[in-house]
Amino acid sequence: MGLSERIERNVDLSYFEGKIPVNYVYTYGLGLEKFFNAIKEKGEFLASRCPECGAVYFPCRIFCERCFSEITRTFKVPGTGTVYSYTVCHLDMDGSPKKEPDVVGLIEVDGTEGAKFVHFIDAKPDKVTIGRKVKPVLKAKKDREGGIFDIKGFRQV
Amino acid sequence: MSQKVAIVGAGITKFVRRAQETGKELAWQASKMALDSCGLSLKDIDSVSLGTAPDAFDGVHMKGEYLSDGSGGWRKPYMRQFVGGGTGVFAPIHGWMHVASGMFDTCLVVCSEKMSTCYPHPQGAFLTIFDHTTEQALDPTLIWIFALEYNRYMETYGLTKRDIAPVSVKNKKNAMDHPSAQLPMDITVDDVLNSELLAWPVNRLDISPASDGAAAIVLAGEHAAKRITDKPVWIDGVGWNLDTAYWATRDLSYPRYVEKAARMAYDMAGIKEPRREIEIAEPYDPFTYKELHHMEGLLLADRGEAPQLLADGVTQRDGDRPMCPSGGALGVGNPISATGLMKVIEIFLQLRGEAEKRQVPGNPTCGLAQAWGDLMQVGTVVVMRR
Ligand SMILES: [Zn+2]
Repeated sequence: MGLSERIERNVDLSYFEGKIPVNYVYTYGLGLEKFFNAIKEKGEFLASRCPECGAVYFPCRIFCERCFSEITRTFKVPGTGTVYSYTVCHLDMDGSPKKEPDVVGLIEVDGTEGAKFVHFIDAKPDKVTIGRKVKPVLKAKKDREGGIFDIKGFRQV
Repeated sequence: MSQKVAIVGAGITKFVRRAQETGKELAWQASKMALDSCGLSLKDIDSVSLGTAPDAFDGVHMKGEYLSDGSGGWRKPYMRQFVGGGTGVFAPIHGWMHVASGMFDTCLVVCSEKMSTCYPHPQGAFLTIFDHTTEQALDPTLIWIFALEYNRYMETYGLTKRDIAPVSVKNKKNAMDHPSAQLPMDITVDDVLNSELLAWPVNRLDISPASDGAAAIVLAGEHAAKRITDKPVWIDGVGWNLDTAYWATRDLSYPRYVEKAARMAYDMAGIKEPRREIEIAEPYDPFTYKELHHMEGLLLADRGEAPQLLADGVTQRDGDRPMCPSGGALGVGNPISATGLMKVIEIFLQLRGEAEKRQVPGNPTCGLAQAWGDLMQVGTVVVMRR
């Protein structure tokens, strides 16, 4: 049934397994490298504003997708925000039940003129509300590696 | 068709083994350069044609969508083109359709590739382009099948590796004058023959590298082009053609699909005698023998004759029929889709007399760029005139 339906048994001559033998090593890129370094080193959140058309981006970027201007400057925002929408995920990617459901939120980030950011919300599913204020929870500085899980998630305040 | 189409601007990033920039950022750099080169901004662009090769390189599924912001696709009619290695010449063909049809007056054509993400080597990503039932278990690589083609080409015309290796010497030397080049080198034929053997008869210096990079051009319809620049370069003919998916069943000594693509482009451009009328060309050269193979498919040499033209210096920058004056995929590098567009840009610059140290003598008026790809079965061709 649905997501949890699986075919486990091989059937003579009906199929064989294959795979693409590569892994992926992504660069952060010039924009996100700055963003994650600021979190890792200073616990700060960086946004950027297009010098031409004024569009605000969070996380910071190096160019404006609307007018193509280069963006060289960033500015700090507190990292706090408001729950714009959320969902509660009960099954994992294979369709198996999760031990604890995950609460995933879309956060409207303060000081960014409406830019939104997706991450976990650390709250019981029945306690999450659209419109609630949230703040980011960072890992201890010594544990930060420069990546999305330097932010453990957001907590409702 | 309802209007003529010109290239009016071009931009290209440096080609490198691993760029710190993301594919989006590379796409933006090239696109911005192309717009700046002709004094336009993104709001002047009516449509966007993106070319990018397999999603598996970047590890980003729906790479067309992913690259859209760097390609200027935000809230515009935007389409991604993909015919493997042939993409870099197909994306401008597609952009040409947007403008020639009269639907749009301007089109930004962008090709961006980030192959370094694929680890340890993008070759692994190619495995599943082979038939999963009959071929994959043999561990085929692209080098493997091109080696078969290279060997058959030599056998058919009684050639040796020494006849073919000078393509690498010429192109890597040409690349020394290209500011984007990844593998510019001053080498000898013996250097090529003595380089590491990868799969007989392909040695390390017979083959183009894996690269990160991006290129972009701006297309404009007849009236818009004349407003934008005094030096439009017109796309007078386009052609593309696909051979059977059963690659092993093809005649490997001659790329008939390239001939069919070329004839389509020549007919459209009114070219009757390609060897006289095409003064300069950028045939696709991911391997040494491919430049020669493609010259023959493009009817720029008789079958089996291209190695002699190479030996006689005819294909040098100062020869009668310069081939890959840019330095080609062998010298400038091979960020798949961006390579084909780099070749279009080279002809654009050469016809405008703006190729600087790479400029071929004689004020050429007509040139051609070609790419090749999918499972070595697609030919894509554009013919340009100033
Ligand atoms: Zn802007």
